[in-house]
Amino acid sequence: MTLSHTLSVLLDEELITLSRAVGMLRRRNLNIRSIAVGPSATPGVARLTIMLQSDEPTADRLARQLHKVVGVHEAVAFSARDGVTRELALIKVRADHSRYAELLDVALLYKATVVDESSEAVILEVSGSEAFVLSFLRALERFDVLEVARTGAVALDRAPVAGVPFSLTSETVS
Amino acid sequence: MPSHFEGVDSMTEQLSGAQILCRALQDEGVDLIFGYPGGAIMPFYHALPEFPGLRHVLVRHEQAAVHAADGYARASGRVGVCVATSGPGATNLVTGLATAQMDNTPVLAITGQVPRAMIGRDAFQETDIIGITQPITKHNVLVHDVTELADTIRDALAIAAEGRPGPVLVDVPKDVQNQKAEYTSTRGRPAKKEVPERWLEQPREAALRHAARLIAEARRPVIMAGHGVLLSGAYDELRRFAEQTGIPVITTLLGISGFPESHPLHLGMPGMHGEVHVNRAIQYADVLIGVGLRFDDRVTGNTAQFAPRAKIIHIELDPAEIGKNVPVALGIVGDAREVLAQLAETVRPRDCAEWQTEIASFAKHRVESFRGDLSPESILRTLDEVTNGGCTVVSDVGQHQMWIAKLFPYQRPNTHITSGGLGTMGFAVPAAMGVHFARPEEPVWAISGDGGFQMNMQEIATMVQEKIPVKMAIFNNGYLGMVRQWQQFFHGRRYSATPIWSPDYVKLAEAYGIAGWRVESADQTADVIRQATAHDGPTLVEFMIEQEANVFPMIPPGASLSEPIEGEPAPTLVQV
Repeated sequence: MTLSHTLSVLLDEELITLSRAVGMLRRRNLNIRSIAVGPSATPGVARLTIMLQSDEPTADRLARQLHKVVGVHEAVAFSARDGVTRELALIKVRADHSRYAELLDVALLYKATVVDESSEAVILEVSGSEAFVLSFLRALERFDVLEVARTGAVALDRAPVAGVPFSLTSETVS
Repeated sequence: MPSHFEGVDSMTEQLSGAQILCRALQDEGVDLIFGYPGGAIMPFYHALPEFPGLRHVLVRHEQAAVHAADGYARASGRVGVCVATSGPGATNLVTGLATAQMDNTPVLAITGQVPRAMIGRDAFQETDIIGITQPITKHNVLVHDVTELADTIRDALAIAAEGRPGPVLVDVPKDVQNQKAEYTSTRGRPAKKEVPERWLEQPREAALRHAARLIAEARRPVIMAGHGVLLSGAYDELRRFAEQTGIPVITTLLGISGFPESHPLHLGMPGMHGEVHVNRAIQYADVLIGVGLRFDDRVTGNTAQFAPRAKIIHIELDPAEIGKNVPVALGIVGDAREVLAQLAETVRPRDCAEWQTEIASFAKHRVESFRGDLSPESILRTLDEVTNGGCTVVSDVGQHQMWIAKLFPYQRPNTHITSGGLGTMGFAVPAAMGVHFARPEEPVWAISGDGGFQMNMQEIATMVQEKIPVKMAIFNNGYLGMVRQWQQFFHGRRYSATPIWSPDYVKLAEAYGIAGWRVESADQTADVIRQATAHDGPTLVEFMIEQEANVFPMIPPGASLSEPIEGEPAPTLVQV
């Protein structure tokens, strides 16, 4: 069954390793929804989070392919219900003073905050599940939305992480 | 210099990056390099004469260097090494690297790169070879500093060879080759990545017991052996397992010569050009044990109808392959040799006499489509007789490749070498040069069609200069035969761009100063092959074969293994 799956990948914090991992995703011809990358708990190791629309065996196979990439320490696939997913969005809305209160009401409903304000535009920040962010964006459609920047989803598996992701970075054999 | 300084001096000896490169290769046991010099790799070539242990073979095109390194790797089991300059030198390696990647052969390619300060400025002969080769190498690295160089070479050789082998490219900027540093190792090898336990499906012992149970319950089991059998050297283990259980053995294109063809349990090659009884055995099988293969589409035909009655046991080193192309009942992640040995210990001895009789009843006398007496079959039979089975046959890609795969009676391990996954025309001639260095004592025959031969025939010059006695044969039918066959079957006989002109090959041989023959009838074959084999240097034999001979049977692309075209007159199915 096609579902939203998350691939969570720990890899060397280098552009070349990221390029190898993303290249692998492109070559395998899958339906990728979002890619997010940033530091992990281990210095020098980045976490790459990929949201894809696929059945479970496909997601798992992609994790196996990613695991082979030199510089990748760990790759796990889990379904949306087995993980916690969040993304953050910044939304720039044209300032319309006559509807300011209405805009704030909508923002309040979604626990969004005003992070910047000028005479021309307001920037709102919201975070939550992908569906929650999308819902907020829909709610804002009745305003004049100028720009949207979304981080793409980051996620963590609810279960303790399988494998030994952290120790591999320093371990060597002679 | 006073002697007491010598020790101190050698400890702090500063070498150039180029010298470090050569030294690291030599210290890791490399003794053969196929290459071609150029601007960005000149420091390496300047240092090379200081290392007489590194034999260099100057090719005529970088593609030949990588195919030769590949051929050497396939025949020797060691890493084949090739060298090219930046830009066009590096891009000429692309086809060969992709060939090695698809067939999992260990190759190290070293390329020169423009100096670090010039990278990213579209400098003369600059190309992003790391970006270009990322999808077609197992790994690739740009060396940023001379202090990384020795370790990078050691790692590259190890990565190419370990686990599921593959090509590795190391890109070395020219100024790094000129940088000075101490020759030393700064760190140990990074730990080899282990397969996470969660992908092993079940512990090995449990998996073996499960497999043994499936095999014990099977009435119609077959073994399908792939390249993994050759890569892991599992010849004895495969044979023991097959003999203990009486299970017939199918060998894929790259599995050929993994099991002796004279053995009563040997069935043949499966798939698109597999014999009818082999494919029917697959379609009737209730258990199929795939060893060291990926169930390529040329093997399976339409996967939805592949082995419809079979529970598939897939023994494979790479967990990403299990379940990738066909659903499996049981995946066993591991080295083919190790798993087959354990499986032979675990299974209860049995026989498959009834099933063998049933398969024998499927066998049909192969439909001869070869008019005239100089058939590919007669040539290959004669080659086997004259060399007494003591040669390695390197084939190119196309009809002749299928004839060799099906008709040459391979008995000795790893004596069939061909480009399977990528299907690279032009592979045979340069790859055979590499095979020669791995097996200098035995004749190496490079058999090509007239199309593939013309793709890399410039390498005759390499053979002459470097004294490489490869025996070249051309199956000349005046067509790009396999494409012509598809045009005949599926494109209404519209022979678009498939008739191909050839030069006078005997005169070509003469121009290169090598011995050449043209064989036009079967009665010349034995004599010419005998002369060519006995001849000291490289030789060229052109066989004038039937122009429109076809490879039968044939499963149309996308069809199931149950739907072969068995012979003339072939249907004309227009499928544009």
